[in-house]
Amino acid sequence: MIFTSFNFLIFFPILAISYWATPIKYRWVTLLVASYFFYININPVFVLLLAGVTLSTFIFTRLIDSTKIELKKKKYMIINIIMILLPLFFFKYFSSFNNGIISFLETNNLRWPLPEIHLLLPVGISFYTFMAIGYTIDVYNEEIESEKNIGIVALFISFFPLILSGPIERANNMLPQFKTHKTFNYQLFIQGFKFILWGYFMKLVVADRIAIYVDAIFGNVSKHNGTSLLMASVLYPFQVYADLGGYSLIAIGVANIIGIKVMQNFKRPFFATSISEFWRRWHISLISWLTDYVYTPLSFAFRKYRISGIVLALMITFIISGIWHGAALTFVAWGIMQGIFLSIDALTNKKRIAFETKFQLNKKIWYRFIGMCITFSLFAVSQVFGKVTFINDALNVYLKILTDSGPLFIGTPSTLIFIIAGLILLLLKDFTDEFFPSKFLLFENNFKLIRVLAYSSIIIIILLIGVFDGGQFIYFQF
Amino acid sequence: MERTEITNVLTAIFRKILAKDTLILSDNLTANDVENWDSLTHMLLISEIETEFSIKFKLKDLNKMRNVGDMIETIISKL
Repeated sequence: MIFTSFNFLIFFPILAISYWATPIKYRWVTLLVASYFFYININPVFVLLLAGVTLSTFIFTRLIDSTKIELKKKKYMIINIIMILLPLFFFKYFSSFNNGIISFLETNNLRWPLPEIHLLLPVGISFYTFMAIGYTIDVYNEEIESEKNIGIVALFISFFPLILSGPIERANNMLPQFKTHKTFNYQLFIQGFKFILWGYFMKLVVADRIAIYVDAIFGNVSKHNGTSLLMASVLYPFQVYADLGGYSLIAIGVANIIGIKVMQNFKRPFFATSISEFWRRWHISLISWLTDYVYTPLSFAFRKYRISGIVLALMITFIISGIWHGAALTFVAWGIMQGIFLSIDALTNKKRIAFETKFQLNKKIWYRFIGMCITFSLFAVSQVFGKVTFINDALNVYLKILTDSGPLFIGTPSTLIFIIAGLILLLLKDFTDEFFPSKFLLFENNFKLIRVLAYSSIIIIILLIGVFDGGQFIYFQF
Repeated sequence: MERTEITNVLTAIFRKILAKDTLILSDNLTANDVENWDSLTHMLLISEIETEFSIKFKLKDLNKMRNVGDMIETIISKL
């Protein structure tokens, strides 16, 4: 069951009504039952993994809290992290590793005892595993006390709005919310609907429409010229933003309707003027998770090497981020590119700030605009590695963009027209939210008529030009 | 070392690392309030503080520093 499916449109209202009708004390039970039902609906077998990760996390976090001996605490934390990483490694990486060895040995006329394996990735495993690891480390770091009720831990790890693609939430935000006896919050309830509406717009009108064009081009790189590949490469970052950003807004909105506040996952990323700022605005829940649980311990360990230690920590963190997205060399290359961009950013940071302050460049619109264009271009270049299957394909795309110009592939003209129309609307909203947060309000306008018109227009746009037979959300594969 | 003295030394370190000559530290100041105080410069600050005060932080100390005030308290506990 996914957010854009008909089943979800039936499931969610029933759940929301049952949730608010349940006596306050047992609302978490309703949510837990609904979350497991939601997950079982996707693939019943994988629920065993989810339950296993939950049980292991519950037992070991309780054990961490039960001892005062530091060494034992550390041992329990490490055991749990290994326990819950094992299924992730097995399902996500084992087949690639195994099949890689087979093809390597075959080229040398050698045989590998295992057959070629293709495993189905349990959906959401990369997300709930990270949430469980984060909780375990937080308990070890004494940031949060271990939860005594296994049902609440199970709900945290399986919470249905977040389980498939995040936002990757933290225990210190979620556990208290599941345990407090909340009354109905009308503002949050309405806010939830607004997020869901805009999320559907992003996904169905923007992301899935761009996908038609981008997939046509990237699906057949050899047949298309550099101009069309350039167009697809420019559009792809917008597609990912509208896809994961749209998904995240629906997830946050669904949670809001049942009174739960969830962290923001995107903050108008294309208005970032540097790559470091970009990564504070893009997939915030993953990047802040990696910052807290990977980058900070690493850079702390390497701190005596000062800036070199930071560069090393950055490189490792982003390579891990790449591998988290998938077991392919293209993702490693993607991670290395981000690491290099951020390292250059970090190394030149001080001089750049001094230069900008001296000439008061930060307030100049043209300077900020150039910064945004450079940041976007760097990201778009790296995203080619996120889209293709092999490194050679990405290099081929770059080569063609630089050398093989020609007429732009149009396909069905309406596709490009709807893409441009959707993008203008999306970026216009982001633009006003970024630079004029209290002006040009539509959804938040004081006049009810304007609000109603704004909602109605978005619903009509979704129904008229939304793509309803589009695929899954991009991040389900990760 | 007095608290004010620690604050003065810290101010010099912050100004140097964050390239902000006029930065004034207060107990409630957090990374969100200062441009350029991010996860990258934070570790440079930590490393400089360790050298300047001849102390060693633990990773757990870092997680508990929510603002400059917490940072000063942690430094005092290590001196």
